[in-house]
Amino acid sequence: MRGRPVLGTLAVLGYIIMIVPILFVVSTAFTAGDALTFPPQGLSLRWFGEALAYQPFISALVSSLQLAVVSTALALLLGVPVTLAIQRGKIPGKSLVEGLFLSPLVVPELVVGLALYQQIMIGLHQTSFVALLVGHTVLLLPYAVRVTGASLALADPAVEEAARGLGASPLRTFFSVTLPLLRPGIFSAGLLSFVTSFNNVPLSLLLQSRQFRTLPVTMLDYVQQSYDPMIAAMSTLILAGTVVIAIVAEKTVGFAKIFGGINK
Amino acid sequence: MTNAAEFSGVTQSYGETIAVDNLNLQIEEGKLTTLLGPSGCGKTTTLRMLAGYITPSAGTITINGVDATRLPPEKRNLGMVFQSYALFPHLTVADNVGFGLKLRKVPAAKRRELVLHNLDLVGLAHLADRKPKALSGGQQQRVALARAIAISPSLLLLDEPLSNLDARLRVQMRSEIRRIQAETGLTVVLVTHDQEEALEMSDVMVVMRAGKVMQTGAPATVFTAPANRFVADFLGYENFLATADGSLLTVRPEHLRVGTAGGTTGGAPATGLNLPAVVTDSVYRGVDHIVTMTATDAAGQQTTLVSTTRRDTLSSDQSGVRPGDRVLAQARDHEIVRLAA
Ligand SMILES: Nc1ncnc2c1ncn2[C@@H]1O[C@H](COP(=O)(O)OP(=O)(O)O)[C@@H](O)[C@H]1O
Ligand SMILES: [Mg+2]
Repeated sequence: MRGRPVLGTLAVLGYIIMIVPILFVVSTAFTAGDALTFPPQGLSLRWFGEALAYQPFISALVSSLQLAVVSTALALLLGVPVTLAIQRGKIPGKSLVEGLFLSPLVVPELVVGLALYQQIMIGLHQTSFVALLVGHTVLLLPYAVRVTGASLALADPAVEEAARGLGASPLRTFFSVTLPLLRPGIFSAGLLSFVTSFNNVPLSLLLQSRQFRTLPVTMLDYVQQSYDPMIAAMSTLILAGTVVIAIVAEKTVGFAKIFGGINK
Repeated sequence: MTNAAEFSGVTQSYGETIAVDNLNLQIEEGKLTTLLGPSGCGKTTTLRMLAGYITPSAGTITINGVDATRLPPEKRNLGMVFQSYALFPHLTVADNVGFGLKLRKVPAAKRRELVLHNLDLVGLAHLADRKPKALSGGQQQRVALARAIAISPSLLLLDEPLSNLDARLRVQMRSEIRRIQAETGLTVVLVTHDQEEALEMSDVMVVMRAGKVMQTGAPATVFTAPANRFVADFLGYENFLATADGSLLTVRPEHLRVGTAGGTTGGAPATGLNLPAVVTDSVYRGVDHIVTMTATDAAGQQTTLVSTTRRDTLSSDQSGVRPGDRVLAQARDHEIVRLAA
């Protein structure tokens, strides 16, 4: 930072912009009072208790977790083989295929949502869980392809060739060499996908139903009707969960590897 | 004399580029054959076709007399050492070396024994439980070698195995690889662009250029009797002189002597080369003293001549030459190599 005053100042400003609102939300969650105000009035855990006892939040949390876990698994199951085919396979028009799988990044989610609403919920009479599962999987595919692709691009193809030379069939090579090499990449892709699905609002908003509603949508509903510290408490709980995930990620793979993989 | 592998009319092209051009080559059993040539001449492509990673566009490759042209790598039983070593980063040194044995269903106890034996061969038995990341480049190289040898391959293939090592280690590994070859009796094909390496290590040397074989033979033969100008050039010959009858003579710079016109340095040879020349430069480079001259050859062409002499064998006459001096470029008959064209 020294010798780069502008860059340094911007960095500090960036941190402040990111952290101050979080501090605001977290501190108001611990208020003993009835209003969502800053500074909090007194200190208590009562709103955490209320949030955890509020049935709509809890069932929505379960729905969100289900959706995030299953759509992440599907995105990886589809995305990893696609990545391998794109990078290691001898398929014609590789860049076209890659473009196809990255396109959800540029198509507006509302358009995807609307299409799924028409086709899957109205057309095929499926539940909103199925529609959301399809929507989220499509949404997550680019992350799965990109992040695992980045870690595959860093791996020396000669390592897989070496396995073949030593007598391993292509399938055996995949399971005993390629997959272990890809493990950090798959882990990062999964993490990123999970968080992306869990936080998604546009798709979930469009495809929700009374039976299946995700947590962010439920919280949004709640804020529109009542503005009390329970919403801050729920947000803080989500934040805590995210921090735990981040710590696990750092301990097992390392941030440098996870986020390095996205840029390279 | 049997062949461990044979290329017949093998061609590999990438679009417009012809990497290997109608290659005919026999790899003799139990010998160390080097493929030598400048970067891009098709050495790696040749080796990778032999290993099964590339299928030739045309021609056949046989291994131990059996057509292997379209056999996948896992069915060839060849040991390959990659330039990047390509060790399995998630496995220990022992598991790297045992990888091929495990696939061959060698029981664990026997496997352990073979792994240690092969690690011992490269002097690394004490590092069996390390991960590759914790090894130096030279050690990784040896593990890669042990891994390739452990499967008792019918051929051991090495692609520029020494090019990533530092100079001292490189020279040491040359004799190490020769020793391992002698101990195992393996047929080895080694790719290199380093003529010194090829000359020192090979039983048979194959000099390549632009996908074609320029010359095949024992190092001493190729070195003393290069088949053409390209081979001579690549092996460090300079001083190319056209003759009146249209052939080409060449003399290594260390064989070309500078005689002063007065003739105090041993006098003019009775036969051989004794060509008037003008000194253009006279410098020291490390242990060598280098004299550069221009002369006109028998075909009437102006050529540059270079003579190098070791500092400690330098006469005062030679070290005293200055640019502009008129001298005689001299070589004895047996030092002159006559090239076809
Ligand atoms: N996969 C490929 N695609 C296109 N051209 C290639 C490929 N592999 C090699 N070549 C070309 O073939 C020629 C021979 O390459 P290579 O066998 O790697 O040479 P060497 O190992 O002697 O340096 C070079 O001109 C190279 O550019
Ligand atoms: Mg090469």
